Amino acid sequence: MSARPETLLTRLMPRPIWVGLVAAALLAVLAPQANSYLLFVANQLCIYVILAVGLNLLVGYTGQLAFAHAALFGIGAYGTALLKVHFGLPFIVTLPAGALLATVVGLAISLPALRLTGLYLTLATLAFAQFTLWVFLHWEGVTFGAGGFRVPRPDWLLPGLSPDVGSFALALLLAIVMTLAAASLVRSNTGRAMIAVRDGEVAAEALGIDLLRTKATAFGLSAFYAGTAGGLQALMLGYVAPESFDLFHMALMKAMIVVGGMGSIVGSVIGAGAVLFLLEGLRAFKGAQEIAFGLLLMGAVIFFPRGVAGWLQALPGWAERYLRTAPPPAPEPDAVPEEAKP
Amino acid sequence: MTARIAVEGLGLSFGGVAALSGVTMAVPPAEIRGIIGPNGAGKTTLLNAICGIVPPTEGRVLLDGQPITGLKPSAIAARGLRRTFQTSALFGGLTVLENVVTGLHTGLRAGLLDGILGSRRLRAEEAEGIEKAHRVLEFVGMAGFADRRASALSFGQQRLVEIARALVSEPSVVLLDEPAVGLSLNRLSDIDRLLRRIRDERGVTLLLIEHVIRLVMEVSDSITVLAAGTVIAEGRPEQVRQDPAVVTAYLGTAVHA
Amino acid sequence: MLSYLLLSGISTGAIYALVALGIVLVYKATGTINFAHGDQLMIAGFLAWTLHVGLGLPYLVAMAGAVAGGFVLGALAERIGFRAVLRGNLVNVVLATLGLAFVLKGVARLTWGGISDYLAFPPLVPPDPIIIGDIILLPQQLVVTAGALAVMGAFALFFRFTTMGKAMQATADNPKAARLVGIRVENIHMLAFAVGSAVAGAGAALMAPVTLLYPDIGFMLFIKGFAAAVLGGLTSLPGALLGGLAIGVVEALAGGYIDSSAIEVSAFVAIMATLILRPRGLLGGPPPRRA
Repeated sequence: MSARPETLLTRLMPRPIWVGLVAAALLAVLAPQANSYLLFVANQLCIYVILAVGLNLLVGYTGQLAFAHAALFGIGAYGTALLKVHFGLPFIVTLPAGALLATVVGLAISLPALRLTGLYLTLATLAFAQFTLWVFLHWEGVTFGAGGFRVPRPDWLLPGLSPDVGSFALALLLAIVMTLAAASLVRSNTGRAMIAVRDGEVAAEALGIDLLRTKATAFGLSAFYAGTAGGLQALMLGYVAPESFDLFHMALMKAMIVVGGMGSIVGSVIGAGAVLFLLEGLRAFKGAQEIAFGLLLMGAVIFFPRGVAGWLQALPGWAERYLRTAPPPAPEPDAVPEEAKP
Repeated sequence: MTARIAVEGLGLSFGGVAALSGVTMAVPPAEIRGIIGPNGAGKTTLLNAICGIVPPTEGRVLLDGQPITGLKPSAIAARGLRRTFQTSALFGGLTVLENVVTGLHTGLRAGLLDGILGSRRLRAEEAEGIEKAHRVLEFVGMAGFADRRASALSFGQQRLVEIARALVSEPSVVLLDEPAVGLSLNRLSDIDRLLRRIRDERGVTLLLIEHVIRLVMEVSDSITVLAAGTVIAEGRPEQVRQDPAVVTAYLGTAVHA
Repeated sequence: MLSYLLLSGISTGAIYALVALGIVLVYKATGTINFAHGDQLMIAGFLAWTLHVGLGLPYLVAMAGAVAGGFVLGALAERIGFRAVLRGNLVNVVLATLGLAFVLKGVARLTWGGISDYLAFPPLVPPDPIIIGDIILLPQQLVVTAGALAVMGAFALFFRFTTMGKAMQATADNPKAARLVGIRVENIHMLAFAVGSAVAGAGAALMAPVTLLYPDIGFMLFIKGFAAAVLGGLTSLPGALLGGLAIGVVEALAGGYIDSSAIEVSAFVAIMATLILRPRGLLGGPPPRRA
C-alpha cells in the first residue's frame, strides 16, 4: 500500500498555509495605507510570530523548558543596534550579525544546558536571562545602561518606502519565510527527532536519535529566530532598552505558545496575534497587563492545554502532520489487511 | 560461526549493589533467545546494559564480533540493534505511521537545510520511508492504523507498533521487553507467529523477555535463565524446564506452564 | 571588612534560605516547583506592611498576619495553579504557577503602588552599629538572622514532631505507601504549598525593614531561593539552608570586593557555574518520583 497522490480537491482544501499566506498578502497590501499605529501593530505582530515560532520549536516541539528566549531576543536587538551605533555598519550587515550572535550565544548556553534536564535546565536558563539583563543594564559604556539608546533607522532599506513601511515589509517577509521554514522542518526527519526527544528521550535514543545533537539544533534554531526578531524590533522602534527583554516578556512569549498551542506552528502564529491584541488593549496599565497575562497563561494551561491549535486539529486539512506525503485515508481499523507484499 | 550478539562477563552495580554480575551468553544469528527469571532477576537491566542505556560497569557486549560497550545508545542503535520497552514507549504526539518512520532515523541523510527547504533528497527519503513503514505495519498486522494517533491505540496495539518501529530499519538484533503484556490470551498465538516470522522472514536475532512462560517455551530456540543478576541455566526450552536450579529459583513465584 | 561582609552575607542568605525551604518542601512533596512562591512572599510582605504601617498594629501581629496570609496564598496556589495541572507534565505546572506569579505581581502593583514605588518598612531596632573589637554588627541584621534561624528551628520541630509534619515526610519518601496507610496525598500537596508559603511569609516580615517592599522583589527572591534550593540539591532541607547562606555570602563578597552592581549578578554566575560543574547540586540525591 503506497501513499496516494493528492487530488486537486485535497490540495485546494483550506490548509493553514493558504489561509496564512492570504492573510499575509492582505496585510502587505493594506498596511502601507494604514495609519502609523496600525502599521506598528502589524509590524509587531510579524516580530511576535517569529518569536513564538522559534520558542515553540524549542519548548513545544523539543520539550525543553528554557527561559532564555527574551534574553536572546534582547541579544539580537542589542547586537543589531550596537553594531550600527558603534561601528556605523548598515542594517543589511548588522541584522544578520545580531541574529548570528544570538545563535552563537544560544548554542553556547545549550552546551552546558544539554547535561541538564527539567527544572535544572529551567534554572540555568533563568539565571542566564537575568545575567544578560544585568549586562544590558550595567555595561554602560557599550549598552548605554537602563535608559536604553536610540538607533538611527535607515530609509534606504527598501527604496521608495518610508522607514515604517520598509521595516514592516522586511518583518513580514521574514515572518513568512521563517514560519514556512519551521513548518517544513517539523515535517522532516529533524522535526520528528525533536518530537521524539520530547515524547520519550530514552526511546528516542534507542532508535538512534542523538539527544545532544537534536537538542543543540533546537536551541540554535530557536535562538536564531529570537535574534532575528530582536534585530527587527530594533529596526522597527529605532530604540532599544533593557526593559523590553525582562521576565514579563519571557512570560508573554510563553503565553503565546501556550494559548496558540504547544507543538504547533499555526498555533504559534495565532498565539502571537492573541497576545499582541491583549497587550495593546491593556497598554496603559502595567499591573492590569500582568494580571491579564497571568490569568491567560494559567487559564490556557488549566482549561485548554492544547491551545487554539487543539480545536483547529479537528478541521479537515488542519491536522499537523510530520511526514512529507499526505498519508492515505485510513481504512476501517477492522478491515482485513491487504495481501502482504514480499 | 561467530555469535550475532555476545555478552561477556557483564556486570552492573548501583552504589555497591550488584544488579548483574558475570553474565555471559552468545546468541547466533536468526535465533530467538528467551530470557526468563523471577522478578528482580535483572532481565530488563540486562537489556538496558546491552543497548547502552545503562552502561555496564564490567564486561563487554559484542555485536557481530565488534565491541559496542561504552557507545552511546544512539550509536549502538545505528549499528543495527533495536529494542522495545516494557511500558509502551511510542511517541504520543505522532501518528502510528510517523512513529514507524522515526525508526528509520539512523539511515536518513537529509540534514537541517534539507528539512527547512523540503529538498528533493528529503522528499525522496521520506517517500521511501513511508513505503517501508507501510510494509512493516502490514507485516505486524497494523496496516489499518497508520493514520491513527499513537496515543489513541490500545496497549496491545501499541506494542505491535513498537515492534514495527524497531523492525523498520532492518536491524540484525531486536531486544523485546515483554511484548505480550497487554495482549489478550487469544492473541498469544498471533504474537508467537509474529516472532517466528521476524526470525524466519527477516533473519532477525531476538532477545525476548517474557513473563508468559508458555509463550517463551514455545517460541524460543534456547533460553537463558537469570536469577539475582547471574545466569543459572541455559539451554533448549525442554532442558531448562527440567533444570532443578530453575525450579528452585521459581519456587514460590507460581510457574504458569 | 571581611567579617562585616560575611555577617551581612549570612543575614541576607538566611532570608534566601527561608525562601528555599518552601521551594524544597514543595519539590519534595510534589516533584515540581511553584513559580509563584516568591510572589506569595511579596504579597505576604505587603500584608505585613498594611497591618504594621497602615493599621499601626504591633510588629509581631503583622508578622503573624504575614505568616497566615502566606499560608492561605500557598493553599490557594495549590488549588488554583497546581492541582488541575498536576496530571499534566512539569512544563504545565511551571507555566500555570508562572501565570499565578504574574497575577499576584499585578495585584500588588495595583493595590500597593506603581512600578518603582518602594514602600518603606520602619526598622525594628535602632540602626546604630554595635562594634565589638574590629567586628561591626548591624542590629537589624542580627534580628533578621536570629529570626530566620528561629523560623527554621520551628519548622524543623514541626516536621519532626507533629502528625502533619510526619505525614508530609512519609509522603515525600513514598507517595504510594503514604496513600496505602490512608494519607490523602492531595491534602499533603496543599499543606506543602501552604506551609512553604507561610515560612516565606515569615521571611517577608523579617526582611521588609531591610530591603523595603516593591512588587518585583517577589520573583527576584524566588530566583535566589530556587538557586539556593538547587545548590543544596533540591531535596535536602539542610541543603536549602547551606545553599541560601552560600548565595548570600557570595553576593556580599562580590559587592564588597568587586562592585556594588556585582551583587545581583554574582548569584546568577554562581548558579550557572554550579549547574555546569555539579548538575545535582551540593547535597542532592536523585530526583524524587512524581506522585
